[in-house]
Amino acid sequence: MSDFQRQHPVAAISRALGLIRGNFITILVFLFVGARSENFPFLWWIGGGAGFLLIAGFANWWRFLYKVEDDTLHIKSGIFVRKDIYLTKDRIQVIDVTSGVLQRLFGLVRLDIQTAGSSSRQAAIDAITIEDARDISYLLRPDKNGSSAEGDLKDSAESDSEEESIKSIKLPLKELLIAASTSGSFGIALSLIATVFSQVEPLIGQSEMYEYLIGLIPSDADFILILAMIGAFVLFAWLISFFSTLFKYGNFQLEVKEDEIVVSRGIFEKKRITIPYNRIQAIHVAEGMIRQPLGYASLHLESAGYGDEKGSGSFVLFPLIGKGNIQSLLQEILPDYNRGVEGITPPVRSLRRYIFRSSVLVTLITGILFWVLSLNVWIWLLPLVSVFWGWIRFKDAAAGWDGDLFVIRSRFLSKSTAYIKKKRIQDFSLHQSFFQRYRGLCSIKMYVASGDQGKSFGVSDLELDDGYRALDEARKETAVKISDMDKSEIELKNRLIHLPGWV
Amino acid sequence: MEQQSFHKITPRVIKVWQWSNSISYLFYFGIPIGYAAIFGLDQFHIWVALSLTLLVLIGWVLSIVWLPYKIWENWRYAINDKEIELKHGVFFKTQTLIPLSRVQHVDTRQGPLLRWYSLSQVTISTAATTHEIPGLDIVIANRVRRQISTYARLAEDDV
Repeated sequence: MSDFQRQHPVAAISRALGLIRGNFITILVFLFVGARSENFPFLWWIGGGAGFLLIAGFANWWRFLYKVEDDTLHIKSGIFVRKDIYLTKDRIQVIDVTSGVLQRLFGLVRLDIQTAGSSSRQAAIDAITIEDARDISYLLRPDKNGSSAEGDLKDSAESDSEEESIKSIKLPLKELLIAASTSGSFGIALSLIATVFSQVEPLIGQSEMYEYLIGLIPSDADFILILAMIGAFVLFAWLISFFSTLFKYGNFQLEVKEDEIVVSRGIFEKKRITIPYNRIQAIHVAEGMIRQPLGYASLHLESAGYGDEKGSGSFVLFPLIGKGNIQSLLQEILPDYNRGVEGITPPVRSLRRYIFRSSVLVTLITGILFWVLSLNVWIWLLPLVSVFWGWIRFKDAAAGWDGDLFVIRSRFLSKSTAYIKKKRIQDFSLHQSFFQRYRGLCSIKMYVASGDQGKSFGVSDLELDDGYRALDEARKETAVKISDMDKSEIELKNRLIHLPGWV
Repeated sequence: MEQQSFHKITPRVIKVWQWSNSISYLFYFGIPIGYAAIFGLDQFHIWVALSLTLLVLIGWVLSIVWLPYKIWENWRYAINDKEIELKHGVFFKTQTLIPLSRVQHVDTRQGPLLRWYSLSQVTISTAATTHEIPGLDIVIANRVRRQISTYARLAEDDV
């Protein structure tokens, strides 16, 4: 491992495929433009493009070298601009092993070594054998408690028991199916279809096929046609989200090891994420709009690695779990976080602000549309729904703390309950807008490291005193329970609740 | 809670803000100009354009004679061996607490305007967010930067 090595040559192909995936829309447009141009044969376009990609992929593969030396992963890469990346063992946040369909054909994996921040994004090794990946991740494993003398002794024993996990939890099929059918990526799929459609539509629009199809439709069926179109779109989006979730979280398994958690999932593209306990930034439980009434939630984890392409460091720790089982699951995997704390809710007078905030825009837009387009009266249901939305957002907002743990519960669309260790809070701020000052309210917000930007958790419109209480507790080493603080205010008592509030 | 000793930022920064606002707010005069370009200057539209101009003008004047003073007045920072605390905001007041053990790095930066007034801004980055103290005298800025990095080193911890 101390000499520079090349990846498996398959990396060249997977790199080329990566380029295609990254510029998919551009390529699509190029292909359509190319297909129309008369004096430049279509096959030339495709052939030339594929050749170019292969050469680029091959050059990338040739110029990519890596080695592990002195607890450091050293990567040289770049075709023209040479880049030397050094990743030290102490700084590694997450180790992520993926094997796509292509890689699996050759028994290879992709290894992502993530450090905090985005600079390690280029440090992924696209294609190496499973054994090599295991070796590297073993060499780069963080020290156990940093003790070297003891570590040496343990090392020999550890190498045998390395693969042994204390517990392993699987996702039952029934729950996988529920997770897939209620997945929130539904909206994303819908917007994806809309994007593709808007790109392709002008091209189809001019074809004879389209004209023919339009000719088939009776002209008086406009309204029903639109409804059917919408229905078909929604169904299609739902199917996409159903299967993508199914493939993503199939074979889900959570392994609890002595000092790390290993999540493996995926049917076609297998992914295996290793995160040491001391790299966990925060965890949060999300109860989606559809899942909450069914009594289900999902469990997420924030890490300082870069996570996915979007750069958020959060990943799914458990895709679907009954509300009643969350506590026992937490007890098994992260007992530190399984704690009920006392929380405070915003005072009743901030309900008005919650409702105003969530409904003002919707009402305004509905009003304008109603007058301008003279729509059906039923459209006014939308503002009513938004008032309800404001009310549940108010109902779910709460902040609590105890000892070294902060719990923040809030809702945008799904209800999220975040558990944040105090020493993981990057900054804590208290905001007061002009109107909040007038009403004696404030909002609190805390950031934890997560991916490139970090992730914030906060509660709006708390009583100003409560905000300052939280700020002061964040300052201390260990926070004092709310009920142990001064209870002189009778009003406070009414707003005390127990978090997280699951039975 | 109140043992913190808060400092104000250097008053010369007001001048910097006045200059930069007076230039950058000129952009908003594009709104009435654009309006006039689209709708012309007929009887009705001339009044709209004039009132828009007036509004932008008032905003422009305020951004020079009033806003910088208010912003300066509301800016406070405090640094001790455990945390950095920043308070600022005119309409939206914000108070931020940054534990020193979470500070990743501290920079001082200077644009041409700041350099002209021998000021410098201090940027404090954590693993998640970036905060800045907008205008400090160069000497003070360097002292603050050194102070933070010394304290931060003492409180060494992983992300």
